[in-house]
Amino acid sequence: MSARPDAGHIAYLAVNGAIITFLLAPIAIITVFALNPTPYISFPPVGISLRWFEKFFSSPEFMGALWLSLQVAVVVLVLSMVIGGLCALALARGNIPGSRVLTAFFMSPLMLPAILTGLALFQLYLLLDIGRPVWGLIMGHTLVAVPYVLRTTLAVLHNFDRRIEEAAAVHGASPARVFFEVTLPLIRPGVFAGGIFAFIVSFDQFPISLFLVMPQGETLPVVLFNYMKFDLDGAIAAASMVSILMAVSVVVILEKVIGLKSYVKL
Amino acid sequence: MDQSASSPASIGLDAVSKSYDGRVRAVDAVSLDVKPGEFFSLLGPSGCGKTTTLRMIAGFETVDTGRIRVGDRDVTDVPVHKRDMGMVFQSYALFPHRTVAENVAFGLRMRKVPKAEIEERVRAALALVALTGFEDRRPGQLSGGQQQRVALARAIVIRPPVLLCDEPLGALDRKLRQQMQFELKQLQKELGVTLVFVTHDQEEALAMSDRIAVMNAGRIEQIGTPTEIYDRPRTRFVADFIGEINLIERPGGKALAVRPEKIVLGAPGAVLDGTIDSASFLGGQTLYRVALSDGRQMLVKETNAGERPVRSVGDKVGLAWAAADGVELEA
Amino acid sequence: MTTIKPDRRSILKAGAAGAALAALGAPHIANAQAATLKITTWGGKWGEIMKGDLLPAFEREFKCTVSADQAFPFLPKLQASPRGNPIYDVLHANSNEQWKAVEFGIVEPKVDPKNVPNLKDVYPYAINDKIAGVSIFTSGIGLGYRTDKGLGKPTSWKDLADPKLAGQRGGYLIPVNSLGQAHLMMLGQIYGSGMQDLDAAYKALEALKPIKLFDFTGQMEKALLSAEVTMGVIHDSGVYRYEGTPEPVDFALPSEGVLALEQVLTVTPGSKVKELAYAYIDYMLRPDVQKKLAEAVWYSPSNTKVQLDAKYDAKLFNTPEKVARLIQPDWKWYNARKDAIDLRVTRILRG
Repeated sequence: MSARPDAGHIAYLAVNGAIITFLLAPIAIITVFALNPTPYISFPPVGISLRWFEKFFSSPEFMGALWLSLQVAVVVLVLSMVIGGLCALALARGNIPGSRVLTAFFMSPLMLPAILTGLALFQLYLLLDIGRPVWGLIMGHTLVAVPYVLRTTLAVLHNFDRRIEEAAAVHGASPARVFFEVTLPLIRPGVFAGGIFAFIVSFDQFPISLFLVMPQGETLPVVLFNYMKFDLDGAIAAASMVSILMAVSVVVILEKVIGLKSYVKL
Repeated sequence: MDQSASSPASIGLDAVSKSYDGRVRAVDAVSLDVKPGEFFSLLGPSGCGKTTTLRMIAGFETVDTGRIRVGDRDVTDVPVHKRDMGMVFQSYALFPHRTVAENVAFGLRMRKVPKAEIEERVRAALALVALTGFEDRRPGQLSGGQQQRVALARAIVIRPPVLLCDEPLGALDRKLRQQMQFELKQLQKELGVTLVFVTHDQEEALAMSDRIAVMNAGRIEQIGTPTEIYDRPRTRFVADFIGEINLIERPGGKALAVRPEKIVLGAPGAVLDGTIDSASFLGGQTLYRVALSDGRQMLVKETNAGERPVRSVGDKVGLAWAAADGVELEA
Repeated sequence: MTTIKPDRRSILKAGAAGAALAALGAPHIANAQAATLKITTWGGKWGEIMKGDLLPAFEREFKCTVSADQAFPFLPKLQASPRGNPIYDVLHANSNEQWKAVEFGIVEPKVDPKNVPNLKDVYPYAINDKIAGVSIFTSGIGLGYRTDKGLGKPTSWKDLADPKLAGQRGGYLIPVNSLGQAHLMMLGQIYGSGMQDLDAAYKALEALKPIKLFDFTGQMEKALLSAEVTMGVIHDSGVYRYEGTPEPVDFALPSEGVLALEQVLTVTPGSKVKELAYAYIDYMLRPDVQKKLAEAVWYSPSNTKVQLDAKYDAKLFNTPEKVARLIQPDWKWYNARKDAIDLRVTRILRG
């Protein structure tokens, strides 16, 4: 009998190992591809070179797209935190009739295939004859990013002890001060956690961008997709590596600067 | 201690009512007067309206009808943050993102007290609750008892004329609770603050209060000192809610109430006769259940004196009490 | 081109997010004065030449700006835009897509030689009734193969069925790739009664299994380079571009004929700058423009007057005799049956 927990433990480790391998294997392959000097994936790798990174970083096309993607993602991050945070507060606190229906409504961009959202926005913009301005792209991204912030903020608000706000009020804080001194700092981990999702959703956004980008104003995923049709080489892998590192560093920076550790007991 | 600088205020509630759903009255025409510096408890089972009453005094809930007065000021329509009160919550409600010192300083900061003075007063308040040295900790790093002391310091540091406590000791274990009861009472005496204390624990209310209002179903059943409430309950509800009591039904729906410890056991042939059904040894006392000949049961508490042995089950006894110890209930 | 540039520059300069937002709204009105020609074009090396050289020269000559969209998918975007104010003036696409566009009524089926004088110099295949619009270039679809695997140079489409190539041959996901679709029709031609003999084609396709399938020709290229595939269906330009590199790959023209993969331009009926659109097509047919692109990406030029350098002259389809080897699929016929074919081939290739 004493062998049983061991066998269970081994199975447990094996399953976890398999899951981690499954999650990380694509990244490992991308890494090999990015560092391999040949313009195709060869296994085993024939050497290590940074030529694809060089190509990526020296291409004005890629760099422009990377910059645009970053800037759009930052604006989307800010917008979706403000909109998502305020929506969550209104839905959780506002005593709004039908707030459940409204919550579902605000979450609905997640239910819809993003490609439809992209196409619909594209047609709307064309019908309104406003072209495809970058703010239109940002709006599209924000639309699908807000639900993430909404969800994480609602989760924090759900576990929020409102007595803490009452304690602030009774000891002399006006409603505005209660918000800034207590409510905001306490929901901040939720808002920022959602913000990280929003950033990544925007930075990696493809289906919506596909329709909404302007010629010469294409985001990185769109440029990569189109590049792949004509030149499938290691620059794609290098670009993917850079994207992954970018996303990871955003998470790390936000964690360090703002601190995602929740004060709220969840 | 200069915490006592502000003078305690009286509190008056005049026929205050509150309904959440427009039908059931959570608080039904409650009137009471709390004297300056008094330790006043609102006591009752959950749902009796005591917490709602406290929340209306604090300003978290609006009143439907009636007025609330603090000192000479009608605060009925004054928003929470302008009522100038201190409050301690059952869940402590400390600001988890701030240090102990910042928590305590909060009310002072809101009142725009100069920095140096804030520092001084926070130090004094923490000393008062024996938490010197904990200034830089976060609430999450403290025990429940310590957190409640911080909450207390945060409330008293502003020298409020009125301190409200919503079951502040409810989350603490029994031993800690008894100690905190004592400390809170001491502190209240020291500061001379008017304190309104909500509790469902009758022992706690009896031990700490100057006066108690016993509430039931949104109404006040009786207001009085602990002794009055205990010795001379006015209604069945109060008699039953506070401690153990024997009710002897009288014709006309009235009843006579006698506390178990007021009953003297003797030889059969007294006011009532019965047989001992069970005996529970409580240390200093023994609690007997006595079955009367007509089937009713009476509780009797007898102090254990060295020379008298504990009575045995099945012993025949007679029950008697002084006329003054029998309370005629009004309802 | 230059219409858009200020956009990006302003974004790049505006560091703060808010500033970026504010700056992005304006530029659309800013250049409304100069006529703008909206086109689609390819990326890659082709795109580099276009954006780096040919389009700026066109803008200078015709005093206009060109907005060139390289982001697929072109057809859905054009389809979703209002007919009276289409998102493109000139659509550059492969032949089969152009036929789809004609069917939707979102491009003009023919280009009038009156508007495009250079049409008088093109090979007939570029404007015949197998083509909607004008084909400015073509590639030849044949067999790409590795020279280091002991294979002889393939001579027939049938060589792809060699049992030795099991699992080593490459094809396409037919529903999404026009090379795959053209190859399917070719199978009908070789194993059956003609390009429209689908039953023979299905049978032949079945016999090619196991076969590696790709979405894009670029993937086929890399699969050949990495030896994942020993022989595969591919266009000549996808192999010739490694000419002069040590890569052991070559291209074979099957004796039964080479499938044409045309680069076709059409004009949208709702275009507000039609003259400019025709001028652009005419410009793309100029011998010097054709030469530049042909030699950059190994596409065979449509204009008979183009003089290619010897290296290109040897391989590209630039004489009446060589052009005669090109087989042009009937895309109108194919597109009309596409859904049924897609279903069938998906079943064949999955099973």
